[in-house]
Amino acid sequence: MATLEGRSRLRSILNKAALVLPTAALSIILLYLVLWNLYYSFTNWSLFHSIPEFVGLLSYAQAMSTVFFRSSFVHSLELSGGLILVGNLMGMLLAGLLYFVRSSKLRTVYLSIFIAPLAISMAVNGVIWLWLYNLQIGIDWLLVRLSLPALPWLSSTSTAFPSMFIVAVWAYSGLAVLFYLGSFMGVDKSLIEAAKMDGVGTFKTFFRVLLPNSYQGVIVATALLFLFSFKIFSLPFVLSGGPTNVSLQTIVVYMYYLYTTEFFAQSTAIATLVTAIAAAVVIPFALLGLRRWVRRE
Amino acid sequence: MVVTVKLSKVTKTFKKGKRNVEVLKGVDLVVERGACMGVLGPSGTGKTTLMRIIAGLEVPSSGEVYFDDKLVSTSNRIIVPPENRNIGMVFQSWALYPNMKAYDNIAFAVKNKGEETRKKIEEIAELLDILHALDRYPRELSGGQQQRVALARALAKDPSILVLDEPFSNLDARIRDSARALVKKVQKEFGVTALVVSHDPADIFSVADVAGVLLDGIFAQVGSPLELYDSPVSASVARLVGEINELDGVVEGGKLRVLRGVVERRDCQDGNVKVGIRPEDLRVSETEVQGMISLGKVRVKVSSYTGSSFRLVVSPLEEEKVELYVNSDRPMPINSEAVLLAKPEKIKVFKNN
Amino acid sequence: MSEFGPTVKAFLHQLILAIFVVIWLIPIYTMVINGLKSEFDVTSTPVFIPPLHPSLTAFAAVWSQLDVPLLNSVIVVIPVSLVATFIGAMAAYYFYLLSVSKRRSLNFMSNTIFSLIALATFMPYQAVIIPLTRIEANWGLLNTYGGAIFAFILFYIPTAALLMSMFMAVLPRDIIDAARIDGSGDLRTFFRIVVPLTIPGIISTLIFNVIEMWNNFFIPLVLFNVAKQTLIPVAVESFTGGYGTLYNESFAAAFLASIIPLLIFIFLGRYFIRGLVTLGTGGKGAV
Repeated sequence: MATLEGRSRLRSILNKAALVLPTAALSIILLYLVLWNLYYSFTNWSLFHSIPEFVGLLSYAQAMSTVFFRSSFVHSLELSGGLILVGNLMGMLLAGLLYFVRSSKLRTVYLSIFIAPLAISMAVNGVIWLWLYNLQIGIDWLLVRLSLPALPWLSSTSTAFPSMFIVAVWAYSGLAVLFYLGSFMGVDKSLIEAAKMDGVGTFKTFFRVLLPNSYQGVIVATALLFLFSFKIFSLPFVLSGGPTNVSLQTIVVYMYYLYTTEFFAQSTAIATLVTAIAAAVVIPFALLGLRRWVRRE
Repeated sequence: MVVTVKLSKVTKTFKKGKRNVEVLKGVDLVVERGACMGVLGPSGTGKTTLMRIIAGLEVPSSGEVYFDDKLVSTSNRIIVPPENRNIGMVFQSWALYPNMKAYDNIAFAVKNKGEETRKKIEEIAELLDILHALDRYPRELSGGQQQRVALARALAKDPSILVLDEPFSNLDARIRDSARALVKKVQKEFGVTALVVSHDPADIFSVADVAGVLLDGIFAQVGSPLELYDSPVSASVARLVGEINELDGVVEGGKLRVLRGVVERRDCQDGNVKVGIRPEDLRVSETEVQGMISLGKVRVKVSSYTGSSFRLVVSPLEEEKVELYVNSDRPMPINSEAVLLAKPEKIKVFKNN
Repeated sequence: MSEFGPTVKAFLHQLILAIFVVIWLIPIYTMVINGLKSEFDVTSTPVFIPPLHPSLTAFAAVWSQLDVPLLNSVIVVIPVSLVATFIGAMAAYYFYLLSVSKRRSLNFMSNTIFSLIALATFMPYQAVIIPLTRIEANWGLLNTYGGAIFAFILFYIPTAALLMSMFMAVLPRDIIDAARIDGSGDLRTFFRIVVPLTIPGIISTLIFNVIEMWNNFFIPLVLFNVAKQTLIPVAVESFTGGYGTLYNESFAAAFLASIIPLLIFIFLGRYFIRGLVTLGTGGKGAV
């Protein structure tokens, strides 16, 4: 096929291939790693069985029957669910407050402040809040000064998880604020002006005009909050000083704990579970929400 | 190397959701080497699709496209991709590369970037009066200059065919005339096969040798611009090509009666017909004018000034609801009465459908 | 709310917003001021009060432990971000080409690949550490620059591809068509036209990648097990110590670890925000 057309068609294929090849190769490697996980999750590889044998779902059963699993799974659910709920509310609230700020420069500054925690490593955030939660010199110092009761924060098992939750809200709400604000700004200005001329107050404008037109922001914010909260590792790790604090353990931390204690097969079992859950959320989201957001034809 | 473009029974169907939309329903077309063809049609009816099929940016659902004798596109297959068809295209939006200066835009498609190329580009730029603009970025240029840079870019590659998509619609009305004249001059001087697609008949008339009216996915009529203007085959074609008044008329025994006028039309069949008369073929007057027949008395309803002449809206005395546009060389007082005159040979008869 | 005058409402609005802003800033504020405390200040003031006699002793103390990790982070993060952004942009252009093609098979393929990339981006990368560490151990890449580079490239190119494909979606179709007609192949069009047109998107993606990679804690935790030979977030974590640790050192370390991403965020962040928000509004508005 040494024809002019043949050669140019070949060149066109090579061109396109060059564009996508590196990414494709890496995606295949990633896929290989996921499959590797899957394979070893069906074995009994651990400190005691350094030569893994096929055991079916035994590792899954072992990993999922511990108290650690139950509590870490519940924690992950609580964290994700709570973060979705509170993060969305904070996002709507703060974005609403920001939307009505007149100076766009001031609005950008405030927005940056809400997003700033994301520019800092979550591990570093953990270090900071560790001291903020210090019973003598942290927030409690301020509370006592204001004649409010001091709280045990991280030192008590009942308040440890909520304390971590507060940090997560502080850190991740900025995401929701960003997308809600973007949604609000995308609402046709003339709708807002019409409402203003009709004498509709800011509250009503917010609830009747801005929010209903921003359902896309809800979808994006919710999905992103879920996916980010699912991955949270450094926060519980740093706040507990390691992977072993049960009251703060999330499912990813539990997976890491199994890894450090050399229960490799069980660790891969949990890892596969985590991947499956993430896939179940991402794929519909990507196909429906993200795609439509990206292609605005 | 300039080519002759031939389309044979080209159709194009798009999927819109669950429905299939037939945009082109069997188009036959020949643009001879060195000729300039215009495609006229309302927006969104397929002229852009037709143009993109010729350029190779769309694939025909069925039919063939030939450049000279070479088959370049066939049913659902693009045999020669656009990058190999050597097409010079002027987009409606100019589509200039914003990150390159005008010179680089023009030179982008030219393979050999030597001294010869530089001279050629400068020649073209001089012809198009953009020599001084070569060193600037598109955003620094006016609309007219951008259009000429786009034209230069299309010409610089010695195209097989020059395709212009609504080339004047983004220009200020004032410079459109000179832009049209320039395109015509350049096309003739370079002798390049050209295809102009537009919804504005003025574009077609000023530039094309032959024109086709694209209606409902096929060419309703193909001919010289004058033919289309004076002898449109249907009221739809007539409307597209220029302003026209439409009236009801009756043909009896070889004579056409419209309003109060009677004119010989032996070639028409008896029956009710639609009659079309263009505003410039009508006149209101107190007296008789040679070569024009009377259509009865009318009352002047509106008299306005269009800048070069006067435009009247008149109604026949017996039929207040009918309104006709008439060109005039002087204004007429509102509510005055006058006689409506028409050039008999310019009265157009269409079947009543 | 009609009984409140407009000025009262405006004042309340500003006040409530200001309260939230202050609350949000407090942790960062503590990070900044507490690193400047001397030992004396540490024992006598809580974390909210600024130092009475600011000093740099804490920074000097932690510097000896953080200098190498800082350097490591710079060496790994900056080049990899550039490469990842660039390769991701190429893939994003490929998807763009697929998505505008009229052939249904290609369209379907682009949807599938897009979902895969999205999955790769949002999947918890922690889930594949075991195979990753095994592979790197086998190739002798643990505790090396190469090992970290490989891991970061693997995990952050999908992110770059996803972000860039959002920016690519708004490419002007006409200009790409014009380039095709001008005989420009896909690679040439990418370098000479697409890249210049998408510079804002490239910068946004680059900023995002640099900050995320710099702040990543888990990957260096897993890939490095020699105390000083690690990246900065892990090095900082070692300053959390028990009650014996002086908190000025913890905060100084935190500050050192965060100064670069924060500076990037402060000075270049507006491009990133602007880019994302205009995407969210569909190209209509800016913040």
